[in-house]
Amino acid sequence: MDSLKPQDITRPLSDQLISLDKFMPLPAPYDKPGMEPGPSPLKEAWKDNHCTTLDGIIGNDRLTRPGTKEEEERFVKNFLSGMDKLFSKETNSGFLTPFLLAFEYCAKCDACSEACHIFKASGEKEVYRPIFRSEALRKLYRRYKKGGGLAARFTGGDMEINLEAVLRLGELAYRCNLCRRCAQNCPLGLDNSLIAREIRALFSMEMGIAPTSLHERGTLLQLKTGSSTGMKRKAFSNIIEFIEEEIADRTGKMYKIPVDKKGADILLIHNAGEFLSWPDNPAAFAILFEEAGLNWTMSSELAGYDAVNYGIWYDDVQAQKIALAQRRAARELGVRRIVIGECGHAHRAAAVSSDRLAAGADNIPRESSFPILRDIVRSGAVKFDPLRNNFPVTLHDPCNIVRSMGVVMPQRQILKALCPQFREMTPHGVNNYCCGGGGGFSVMREMNFSEWKMKVAARMKFKQILDAFQDTIQDPVIPKYVCAPCSNCKGAIRDMLDLYQATAKFNVQYAGIVELMVNAMVIFDRPYFEWLQEGWAERKGI
Amino acid sequence: MLLTVFMYLAAAAFAGFSLYKVYLFAQNPLNNRWELYPVPGELGTRGSYGGSYYEEAEWWARPRQVSHTGVYREMLKESLFMRNLFVNRRKHWRLSYAMHLGIYLLVFFTFLLLAGAITELSGLRLTTLTGAGNHPWARLVYFATSVTGACGASLTAFGSASLLFSRVLDGTLRKYTDFDEYFNLCFILAAAVSGLIVWSTDPGFNYGREVVTAMLTFAPIRGGTALTVHILLFGALLIYIPRTKMSHYIGKYFAYHKVLWDNEPNLSGSVMEEKVRKSLEYIPQDRWSAPHVNSAGRQDSL
Repeated sequence: MDSLKPQDITRPLSDQLISLDKFMPLPAPYDKPGMEPGPSPLKEAWKDNHCTTLDGIIGNDRLTRPGTKEEEERFVKNFLSGMDKLFSKETNSGFLTPFLLAFEYCAKCDACSEACHIFKASGEKEVYRPIFRSEALRKLYRRYKKGGGLAARFTGGDMEINLEAVLRLGELAYRCNLCRRCAQNCPLGLDNSLIAREIRALFSMEMGIAPTSLHERGTLLQLKTGSSTGMKRKAFSNIIEFIEEEIADRTGKMYKIPVDKKGADILLIHNAGEFLSWPDNPAAFAILFEEAGLNWTMSSELAGYDAVNYGIWYDDVQAQKIALAQRRAARELGVRRIVIGECGHAHRAAAVSSDRLAAGADNIPRESSFPILRDIVRSGAVKFDPLRNNFPVTLHDPCNIVRSMGVVMPQRQILKALCPQFREMTPHGVNNYCCGGGGGFSVMREMNFSEWKMKVAARMKFKQILDAFQDTIQDPVIPKYVCAPCSNCKGAIRDMLDLYQATAKFNVQYAGIVELMVNAMVIFDRPYFEWLQEGWAERKGI
Repeated sequence: MLLTVFMYLAAAAFAGFSLYKVYLFAQNPLNNRWELYPVPGELGTRGSYGGSYYEEAEWWARPRQVSHTGVYREMLKESLFMRNLFVNRRKHWRLSYAMHLGIYLLVFFTFLLLAGAITELSGLRLTTLTGAGNHPWARLVYFATSVTGACGASLTAFGSASLLFSRVLDGTLRKYTDFDEYFNLCFILAAAVSGLIVWSTDPGFNYGREVVTAMLTFAPIRGGTALTVHILLFGALLIYIPRTKMSHYIGKYFAYHKVLWDNEPNLSGSVMEEKVRKSLEYIPQDRWSAPHVNSAGRQDSL
């Protein structure tokens, strides 16, 4: 057992708390030596400027070491000031109750550790135990509020506040996917992932420190250009034209994608990453919505064509601004409802997290696209041939859509109707494991973070995928499809399949749910998936 | 008489501090939605597999329906059987449930003492020189009091002692246990053991009824050293509990009902929308300091 305890977070700069080795074993065929790429060495230069003393990984690239003693004192002082604000009605009203409950009432039963995929996948490294982070914050706060006396020590305020502790805590906040599986297992209903999120919020909103991918190239860019991808209105219009042409090339049928159509019933918003990385997905939505005869549109207004809201992971102010910008784009068009495409955190941000943010005209109904897609299948408005999807399919449940929003069955009803070889992962539904890209990790690629993300955070999901396909995994002729109806989950699964070469070696494919639907549409004479098009004639009837 | 006054104060402090804590949580601003599925208020099987109203297109145009039965059923499972701990941490559940079941029995025991004291004050003797009285009600109260008191105190003592030992012996739990948490268990154990010591000389819990009778009639509590020590420990525990994390009977209510199970949507024209409107009108008196946090709009949280 690891001998580390929360007080060790204050250890001096020379001590790296853990080294990453001996991960949770993977199932066949990744149980053999040499199947997993080895670790990359940590660059010496990073150690001088960043906090590598937690686990040798840098997740928050903007968390840099103060240069002088004065800067160091100011850094710690700002952290303490921010910690006070987490406990204030004036500055943390939206999360005060859940935060106080999680902070005050933990019974230290450790039920959360068994639920945490990062803790388990890492080989049970102590710093990743969900209560390690929470307990470190509690100890810092109690020491700070009660001084170093007996009263502080009695309630756990028994460690010094120093620079290294604050830096390590800032990094540790980015070793949690915010998937909330721990909260589901907690007998008192408390949420360690919320504590991780609040530490992130403290660093961002008080100290101005947040990973570049989430802040500068994330929310700030979205508010400036309209999308976290940096895509401006003109570029969006060009991409829509490109997608229309692509659909015509792929299917032989021309569709006109409605943009800025006033008074439409539905404003469909995608994660803009789809347009750049997986344009087949918005294309498939367009085909299905047009064939089903829905009255819909897309928006070219600021934030109206990008459903992402990275703010929900680290910064309430940014989250609020983006949510309002999206609502206002819908309001400008006069639509009845906002429908979110295949993006998990955007589902939650739009429908749940920002629900108590607006009243009156901005209070436009928001809903998931999954029930609409399920109803398209059920209604018979579009004809499908399930045999076109006659290959093993499994479903990844995005935490934000399932555990935090309760959309569980519509996606299953679609897959059960259209995929004869559908099989569930274990566990699944609200008990699923995160893909490893949750909480912003999918877009965070700074320094050596991607490697940690794939080897630790995504490891449990990779194990689940391999387990789901154990009957066919060793046969590269049979395509195996991971249905991941969320952009960030897809990003994580793409990176995972790349790192382990699972597509190249074992023909494990991934994409969303609408691509499967379009692939099964009888009006098209060829598969929608490129990887099915080669040799399609010979494989007809598989 | 001092013991009687002390017990009044202890009971009042327990109720007062607990209610104050409830008041503090209830006064917190409207929090953002942070529900976690399954939410038992969802209708039918959705409540069990974790579905929600979001599984329907145009959910906002449908009537809002809440399964109160589902909520009460889950509350009972969690409150009476500590289901989540049973499912996720079976070993710990055995010890923790022993202690909590003991406490539940002692709460029931207290009501039985009250029933017994009222019965005796109204003229019906619960006991004779040889044991329980002959009247069926007297016998029922007498034996129920004896069983719940003995089992409750024994289970509480066993549970708190075993939790204490497990925290000391289990390397992981030891690392995360602070001094106050050991103290809390010791305090409960001491109160339970002192009660068992008193009980060993009075298996019918007559002393307990006398204490309650004294409190009902504002009379002095007469007792030996053992009873006095037990009363002082029990009273002090009552005063102490609401001020510590042992008040999780309050925390758990808010965690489930106001956070994890609260998926009340902000529908146009609803009571919730009015609450949201009021919340949005509030101008915070303090701000976060990072440069990107400007002065426009509501900034405190999403």
